[in-house]
Amino acid sequence: MHRLTALSLAVCFAAFALAAQHPSAPPSRPTAPHDSVRGAVSAVDVQARTLDVTTGVGFAIRVVRLQVPADVPITDRGRGQRESMRLVELKAGDIVRAAFGSRPTGLVAYAIERVGRMATGVDSTP
Amino acid sequence: MNRRRCFALVALCVVAACPRPPKPGDPLRGLSRDERERFDNGRAVFDSVFTPETGLGPLFNANGCAECHEDPVSGGTGDEVERHATAFHAVVPGGVRMCDELGALGGFVYQNHVTPALQAALGIDSEPVPAAATAVGRRTIPEIFGFGLLDAVPDSEILAYADPDDSDHDGISGRPNRFFDGRLGRFGRKALVPDLRDFNDGAFSAEQGVTTPAVPTEETVAGMPVPAGTDPAADPELSDAKAELATAFVRLLAPPAPLKLSREAQQGRDVFSRIGCARCHRPTLTTGDNPIAALRHKQVDAYTDLLLHDMGPDLGDICLALATPTEFRTEPLMGLHLKTKFLHDGRATTVEQAVELHGGEAAKARDVFSALAPGERAALVAFLKAL
Repeated sequence: MHRLTALSLAVCFAAFALAAQHPSAPPSRPTAPHDSVRGAVSAVDVQARTLDVTTGVGFAIRVVRLQVPADVPITDRGRGQRESMRLVELKAGDIVRAAFGSRPTGLVAYAIERVGRMATGVDSTP
Repeated sequence: MNRRRCFALVALCVVAACPRPPKPGDPLRGLSRDERERFDNGRAVFDSVFTPETGLGPLFNANGCAECHEDPVSGGTGDEVERHATAFHAVVPGGVRMCDELGALGGFVYQNHVTPALQAALGIDSEPVPAAATAVGRRTIPEIFGFGLLDAVPDSEILAYADPDDSDHDGISGRPNRFFDGRLGRFGRKALVPDLRDFNDGAFSAEQGVTTPAVPTEETVAGMPVPAGTDPAADPELSDAKAELATAFVRLLAPPAPLKLSREAQQGRDVFSRIGCARCHRPTLTTGDNPIAALRHKQVDAYTDLLLHDMGPDLGDICLALATPTEFRTEPLMGLHLKTKFLHDGRATTVEQAVELHGGEAAKARDVFSALAPGERAALVAFLKAL
């Protein structure tokens, strides 16, 4: 009985946590096709609400420009998973992971996480 | 007589048992049958020649890996010189990084050739470097023998040599570069690329215009998509399996065996350490754990620390990620005896010239080299020419 209660609680908690991590997407957000990118912020335009992310493979460099609607969650891994931040707080050189989708107007972000910063220090990979 | 014969027989057996040093292009010793098969199959991909119909271009530097890495065998050097361009802003405009790799403008590799279809469509013979570039760097073709061993060196060893703030005040810092996703870089003259697979996948795209599942989109023409009808092959133009085979070939190439050191060269080895060359050109790196036994816990006489060092304004050209224009990765000296041109752009035609062109953090060692007695200087050069 105790085990069942604990299990039920765990399932409830997991479901709650999962729901909290993946808030249901507002209808305005793209659903398909979608992709994700990890790279360095090369430019932030707060007024236009765009983010340029430099990414690529080896010498094949690509820059992905993302539109960032005001309701897109931006979180900072360093501050804790649930800690949100504003677009203006993202700086060039920050390493981000962004999920995005394609729209006729361009690529639109639907979640951005700051995972670290490009720095010449001796820390291991963020 | 019998005794003498016996002695000769033993000597013959000893000589026969000694493995001959690997020749350029040979695989690492101790590969399994499967690894050897992958090496051979990978060489076939490496040696393959692409046409526009099989994926070449529309922008490209070479029609196959071995067009550049050809001398003396596949995996060696070549006489091509590439153009790399970036924009560096020491005073940073608000909200942008100091180094712009011009990724939105087709950078940082600006291809020297175009296919006939692109030439007909745009009237260009090569990709134009945009006006936004602040520097264009020339890049020669490095030999890639033994690069699998460099790939297998753990990040922790490289980072252990780093001293980004020169906290020991020896005038030599050693800064790690990072790829844009934060991983430690080690390949390329600016140590941009974290591993061999990335390097090769990127090279298929940037050097040959061949798309792969890892890089499924074509290079742009200075930022503009290639015109419709100029790229007849469907993407990806090379399968993941073939790209991986090409990487297996590179990964399993043996490092070139150094020449036998003469007595003079042995003296030169001591001079090399004494005057400070070995602070950056670290003689030995050690690989970590690895699924391939031939790469696992091996010492590699690489003569590099795989870190960035300021080489002074005379050598400076482009920036790349965290590397400033004057910073370059310590060039591995293994296989130096195979080279006829030196430094990242081939401007030096002798080893002596290459040393004399060192600046920045290496200026002190260069000055000591210049002031050496002729005998010691000759010994050091003899050592370098044997690597």
